[in-house]
Amino acid sequence: MAQIVENPHGNCSLGGACAAFSAISRVVPIYHSGPGCCLQNTAGEPSQASLRLPYYVQYTALPCTNMLEKEVVFGGEKKLEQEIEGALEIYDADAFFVLSGCTAGIIGDDMEGVVKKFRDRGAPIYAVESAGFLGESYRGYEIAMNALLRDIVEPAEQKPDTVNLFGIVPWHDPYWEGNFEELVRLLEKLGLSVNTWFSHEQGIDAIRASSQAALNIIVHPWLLKDFAGQFLDRFSVPSLRFNGAPLGATDTGAFIRAVSEKLGRKEAGENLVREEERWLYRYLETGIGLQSWRRFAVVGESANTVPITRFLANDYSFTPDLAVITDYVFRDGDKERITQSLVDLEGPFRPAIVWTGDQWEINSALEQFPELSLIVGTTNEGEYAGKHFIKHLVACYPNTERLIYNRSCCGYRGALTFMEDIYSNL
Amino acid sequence: MSYTGIREQRMDTDTFNDAGGCSFDIAGRFKTKCLKRADRTFQQGLQCQQTNSIMALLSMEDSAFVVHSPLGCYGCCSASNDWFRVGQAHRGHFPIRNARVIVTNLDQQDIIHGGEQKLREAILKAWTRYKPKLIFIFTSCASGIIGDDVDLVAADVQNELDGVIVIPIHCEGFKSKVNASGYDASFLAIKKHILAGIQKTETDDSLLNLFAPPTVSFADQMEIERILSDIGIKANYIPFYASLEKIQKIPSARGSTAICKVFADEFMKDLRETYGIPFAHTIMPIGTRNTDKWLLGAAEVMGKTKEAQAYIAEEHKKIEPLIADLRKRLEGKRVVLCGGTGRSFAAAALIDDFGMKLAAMTTTTLDNDALADIEYLNGVHGNFTIDIGNMMPFEQVNMLHKHKPDLFIGVPVWAARMGIPTTHVLDIKRPTMGYRNLVYLGNKITHSLENPGYNKKIAQYAHLPYKQSWYEADTFKFIKEF
Repeated sequence: MAQIVENPHGNCSLGGACAAFSAISRVVPIYHSGPGCCLQNTAGEPSQASLRLPYYVQYTALPCTNMLEKEVVFGGEKKLEQEIEGALEIYDADAFFVLSGCTAGIIGDDMEGVVKKFRDRGAPIYAVESAGFLGESYRGYEIAMNALLRDIVEPAEQKPDTVNLFGIVPWHDPYWEGNFEELVRLLEKLGLSVNTWFSHEQGIDAIRASSQAALNIIVHPWLLKDFAGQFLDRFSVPSLRFNGAPLGATDTGAFIRAVSEKLGRKEAGENLVREEERWLYRYLETGIGLQSWRRFAVVGESANTVPITRFLANDYSFTPDLAVITDYVFRDGDKERITQSLVDLEGPFRPAIVWTGDQWEINSALEQFPELSLIVGTTNEGEYAGKHFIKHLVACYPNTERLIYNRSCCGYRGALTFMEDIYSNL
Repeated sequence: MSYTGIREQRMDTDTFNDAGGCSFDIAGRFKTKCLKRADRTFQQGLQCQQTNSIMALLSMEDSAFVVHSPLGCYGCCSASNDWFRVGQAHRGHFPIRNARVIVTNLDQQDIIHGGEQKLREAILKAWTRYKPKLIFIFTSCASGIIGDDVDLVAADVQNELDGVIVIPIHCEGFKSKVNASGYDASFLAIKKHILAGIQKTETDDSLLNLFAPPTVSFADQMEIERILSDIGIKANYIPFYASLEKIQKIPSARGSTAICKVFADEFMKDLRETYGIPFAHTIMPIGTRNTDKWLLGAAEVMGKTKEAQAYIAEEHKKIEPLIADLRKRLEGKRVVLCGGTGRSFAAAALIDDFGMKLAAMTTTTLDNDALADIEYLNGVHGNFTIDIGNMMPFEQVNMLHKHKPDLFIGVPVWAARMGIPTTHVLDIKRPTMGYRNLVYLGNKITHSLENPGYNKKIAQYAHLPYKQSWYEADTFKFIKEF
């Protein structure tokens, strides 16, 4: 059962689904929902991620049936049909995805029935059941990814030098675009061509052809399990999973080595690791002594908390006191996997791990560590940090105070900017 | 019949949310009851009333909040919480805290079996954690459709606990197309659960209930309070950053007014009926003329008309030399603007202060109140294009393409992509209102117009998602009468 939660670190499945679809170039989501969902989801996803708005269609420019009492009582299929007709007339787009909100989901409108009539006439339009009560942002992201896999991806001849990169959640992870850019940069240096589905110049055609990849690289500890299984069954593309986008020399080196080994490019991998590390450590040398030791807590989603904790502990020799996982990880195996990567650290110190997205419980957990001198977390922890004069960096969702374009929090370049952000002369 | 809180159901006015055309024609047809009911067969996302209910109250002291919904309906709380935090910083309230908002997180099970038990637990959590004096509950589309008895749960929990008022606010999004209905829902609940039973015992002759929506910056609050205080009026500034005590003081005020036209207007009628408190309902105090009008309204109910007139003359002497140069630079420029009811009409009058001409405007609702504003603007600007709708950016870009204005006032997301200079009169964090703040606002408008490089350069690369054919089509083609 979904838990009661204070100041939640997540939005609903409709928000998560829209965040994903609106990150694809030339794609238009159509809301079949009550009035307000477009705005609530915009405030809840992109505006709590990097503050910016989606590129192609966004905010109150999202088409929406704005279901009122009449539709709730008599059904909204007719209204949806008109809405689609209008959307097809005015938007210049490669695909349309009709997303259901709670209202349409509860009254049980037959969206696919409506949408199919248009698809039969040749319109690239698909129905996606995404009602908010189905779950949280991540559920919405998975709903969108599964819908794209089901409706768009087609069989193609495999290309040994092409990979897909999945698991960075668009318009939700504050660093999503920068993280894609940094990992794509590194993979391209291995001679690979990378399909993320969400990169600037990619779009529906790139998604359609993504079955040609030799490998799916998933940088998330638990999302996309079912999706990866389907990719293997339908297109024979295997997946390689990492517990987040790797941050810093140790984990990024391991990431490059694992990928290059899997694709028979071991030597290229070794060369790349050496080259990048030389670049990184040349900078780090010049900052010796500027950042003194800290005891730290990380509060964020598993995909952020794991890499940040590991980087600060392994590569920066800070002491991990606490790791709070705010996403709702519901499978035991996933919890073990996350726990393992949080305790498998180089030094002798292990963080306490707390699983909650509830702000009261997060603050209570922080109180157990009176010597904390750094909290890497979300905007919500600003209150606790302010009260106790603890250095606080917002690096995880929800973020309502940092504008982030393509800053990354992964790889080598992200390690440097992350340390710049943590620095404080106070 | 008492007011339901749904703006479409008001007995004393018609309410239109979907209309468009020439302002003379729209005003004429509305007045003669010849304007037909209509709906947009294609539309973009609205703001729902729940957002307004939440925004209105989230900065209240001594309060905790329960949102009875799936997680998505917390989205606007996040935005409001950001305003609340920024507001604390501006007011010097440190350390800055979060608003205490607990979401019931309704899931599929709850949709089938009901969410009342979860609601109860959420209220109890709010109580155990924060011991607030007030717990506000906001309903959602989901909780409304499944039929949870929120009033009953609230009453039950309140009976069990000591020293807390549990206040359900019925703000299901699907019940109204007018997001300002959400403000009314909040005030109706305040009346029912806080004011009921409070008698007017004495009147504080210098006290004015000043209803302020959450979008008023601290700089604006200080300026408005300064102006009132200069003519001997004390403001009971509510409900933004207000306490329970300030709400309880409402009946003892001599008069009421609001900073926004659709904020507490219905509630103030109620206060007049219940407590005999007169109220002023004028315009948002943006620009000298609007501020004069607003202040004279407030002064009249407070018996300070003479003081206000003298004061206005003094303020004009000070402010006019400061904006004379701006007026010269803005004279004759053509403007398209888009905003909520209060801001849009205030901005439309403001631009005339600067000698600018209104080419087109979008405003959310057409009712008796809006008619008065439109007729006033017809007199000032002549015929202009009016779009009755809640933003509807597709119509906005179509109008911008046709009118090619010198300046757009409103949310800049789309107009900027067309290379049009943009500015706005909705600044939650900086000065906009009253006399002294007009210099900042005037400079903002002038500088946006004179130095539009950002928009011009972005436009070389920017895209909008519409087909070329849409720009050539009739702006209002999707508004169909029924």
